[in-house]
Amino acid sequence: MVTLYDVDVETPRSLEDALEKMEATRFRVIAGGTDVIIQLKEGTLREKKLLNIYSLGELRYIRQERENLCIGPLTTLSEIAASREINEFAPMLAQAAEKIGSIQITNKATIGGNIGNASPSGDCIPPLYALDARIVVKGKGSKREIHIEDFFTGYKEFDLRPNELITEITFKKMTQEEDSIFAKHTLRLGEACSVVSVAIWINRGNRRAEIVDARIALGGLAPTVVRAHKSEKLVKHELLDQNRITIASEAVTSSISPISDVRGTSDYRREMAVNLTGSCLYELLARSQENR
Amino acid sequence: MRKYSFTLNNEPVVVKAPPAYTLLEVLRNVLNLTGTKDGCGKGECGACTVLINGKAVNACLMIMEQVEGSDVTTIEGLATDPLGSVVVRAFEKEGAIQCGYCTPGMIVSSTAFLSRNSKPNIEETKEFLRGNLCRCTGYSKIVKAVIEASRG
Repeated sequence: MVTLYDVDVETPRSLEDALEKMEATRFRVIAGGTDVIIQLKEGTLREKKLLNIYSLGELRYIRQERENLCIGPLTTLSEIAASREINEFAPMLAQAAEKIGSIQITNKATIGGNIGNASPSGDCIPPLYALDARIVVKGKGSKREIHIEDFFTGYKEFDLRPNELITEITFKKMTQEEDSIFAKHTLRLGEACSVVSVAIWINRGNRRAEIVDARIALGGLAPTVVRAHKSEKLVKHELLDQNRITIASEAVTSSISPISDVRGTSDYRREMAVNLTGSCLYELLARSQENR
Repeated sequence: MRKYSFTLNNEPVVVKAPPAYTLLEVLRNVLNLTGTKDGCGKGECGACTVLINGKAVNACLMIMEQVEGSDVTTIEGLATDPLGSVVVRAFEKEGAIQCGYCTPGMIVSSTAFLSRNSKPNIEETKEFLRGNLCRCTGYSKIVKAVIEASRG
């Protein structure tokens, strides 16, 4: 590991100042830096110019705007995990943020950084797919709002120009009729990168047993997080029971293309994806029966 | 080299360092505060845990440009801190130490934990300390010490 004595860092005074600097120079942006600093020390990233946006307080907030919840990208994962609004209106995101790593990491790492690092096993991303989130990005004098599924374009690739910053994450607040769950499979408890992760959002309509709408997102199983559209169709307009859960969770295999790596073979991942989806659907079923 | 001003253990300090030098390097090599340990250097072991504005973070992943203006507390600062000194005494009393390398980080994390949760149970303690590794595997006495400290 190397000492970063020759890396230059600029710290902008404001978002406007940051966007101004990015017009003139090509930077690697760092927020919490819990991944970027490691990559720099290990030499896998060789950037010599960093833009440190960590201290831009204006990008650190959680607020409600009518039916939406808006999150500033520099909100730390521990702030997300502890947030009353997120626990009420997007509980699966709070769950994912809390378990992403150690207390030390979640106190520093940010949600925008988890998105901008674009790992297919970034734990905040499946919940954002399941919440149908939108990513707001800004450049100097420009602003775009991108649906999360369009934002990620390939393995560690996303639709963000060199002069743009992620400036907000936004999604519709969940209502009483909706429920959600996040689960991940790791090789040990805590402090471990996800092998497979699942986030599920369902809408039960008027408290009926039938599921009106569902979104199932899977992490670590393809170049990007993916939606399990076939499984979603199989649970929609159906009474969830053991048989339906088995059919729907087995169908996730049609949406994924897992690779083999240090954390598991593709077959192992495929099987874990089915099992994890099944156990999440069971949990949602159990909760709906308790509430009836 | 740039100048960085921040509060260190309740005293204002100014240091000169390259902007991407880590707080860990500055504490140990520039300020000679060697209580904060250099373990893995990549945010996994927790040996370098310090408090920034009261929150536990890894000093090895904090570059100086991010430290500017903040309030830093290290293991040295906890010696005179009311809660920190209670935690130190509980670690001594329980013998929650083997080789000692993880101890400063464990004490800093435990102090952050107890400042938010004054009556924790064993599970909560283990959960909070998941980012602090003890390679001697002396965890049970460490957890006991934290519970002991919470009783005053």
